Amino acid sequence: MSQSLRPYLQCCRSSLTAALAISNFASQTSERHNVPEIEAKSSPELILNPITISRNEHEKLYSGLTCYPDIEPSVNSVRISLSIKQADEIEKVLVHKFTRFLQQRAESFFILRRKPVKGYDISFLVTNYHTEHLLKHQLVEFIITFMEEVDKEVSEMKLFVRIPC
Amino acid sequence: MSQINYRTINIDQLDPEASVNFPMETLLPATLPQPGTSSDAANVATQVRQLLRGGDAEGALRAVLDTAPLGGDEGAKQVHLATVTEVLQGIRQGEMTRVLEGVCAGEGGAERADCLMKYIYKGMSSPAPGSGAQSPRNKSVSPQSTGGFSQIQGRNLGEGGGGQQMSVLLNWHEKLVEIAGTGSIVRVMTDRRTV
Repeated sequence: MSQSLRPYLQCCRSSLTAALAISNFASQTSERHNVPEIEAKSSPELILNPITISRNEHEKLYSGLTCYPDIEPSVNSVRISLSIKQADEIEKVLVHKFTRFLQQRAESFFILRRKPVKGYDISFLVTNYHTEHLLKHQLVEFIITFMEEVDKEVSEMKLFVRIPC
Repeated sequence: MSQINYRTINIDQLDPEASVNFPMETLLPATLPQPGTSSDAANVATQVRQLLRGGDAEGALRAVLDTAPLGGDEGAKQVHLATVTEVLQGIRQGEMTRVLEGVCAGEGGAERADCLMKYIYKGMSSPAPGSGAQSPRNKSVSPQSTGGFSQIQGRNLGEGGGGQQMSVLLNWHEKLVEIAGTGSIVRVMTDRRTV
C-alpha cells in the first residue's frame, strides 16, 4: 500500500465499518415484506445522511444507508457506489467492459448490484442478510481490496491494449 | 383527471399518515439554536481568523466548532464550512494530535468531535470548497475576508489543487477516528442536524 493512499483507505475502512452497523428491519408499507430500504425509499426517516469520501475529484466512495433512527436503531441496508478513475478514452472503455463483466455475474459476488447508481461505475448493496451470513470485517476488506485492485487491473489492461499483435 | 391512468398514481403519497410522508422536522431536537444567516457566519469567520493569526490554533478550532450553524440556511453553512476548512488547513501536521486532544477534552468535547467529523465529511463531499464557485459568494458577503481566501487558494493551486485539501481532511479524519472512535462516524450518519 503506497504512503499517499494509506489515509484514504483508512478513512474508507472506518467509514465502512461504521456504515455496516445494520440489522433486520421489516417493511413499514407492506406486511411480511422485507426490502432494502435504501432501494425502496419507502420513508425519509429510514434514510440516513449519505457520506462521500474522495481523494480527488474522480475517486469517490459514496454510501447512502438506511436505518430506523429511534431508541432501537434498526438499520437494514447500505449502498456503496464507486467511481473508478478514467483518465482517457481507452480507460473509459476498459472500465465499462470490466464493470459489465462483473455485473453480469453479480450472483456470485453476493453484494454486487446489477446496475450502478446513476453517476457511478459500480455499486454494492449490502443488506442485513449479508452482514449476518458473512463476516463484517471481511466485507469491508473485500470492498477496500476491490478499490485497490480495480485501479491496478485497469492500468494493466491498458498496457496489454498497447502491445502490438 | 380522466386523462391520467389512475393505476399509476402512488396513493401512499396522498395519505398524510403514510410512511412516505414522515414529518422529518419531528426528528430535530427542540434545543436547536436559532437559524443564523451567512453574514453571521462571516462575522464568526473574522473572529476565528483573528484567533488563528494570533497563533491560538486550538482556540480557533474550538470556537469554530462551537458556533456551527446547525439550524442555519445553506449560505451560512457554506461560509462556515469554508472557515472550518481554513482552520484545518492552517494547523500544521505535527500539531494535529495535540490540538485535537485539547478540543475533544472538557465540557462538550464529544459534541465538538462529532461536529468536526461532520465538517470533514462535508468537506470531502463538496468538491473543493473555498475555491471556484464559492469565492464569489464570499466576496459579496464579507469583503474583508477575501484576502485570506485568495491566499489559501493560491497555495493550494501551487500544491496540486483540490487533492491537497482532501489529503488534509483525510489526515484529520484519521486522527479524529483514533480519538473519538467509529461511533462519531455513526453519529454523522444518523444526526439530522446537518452542518
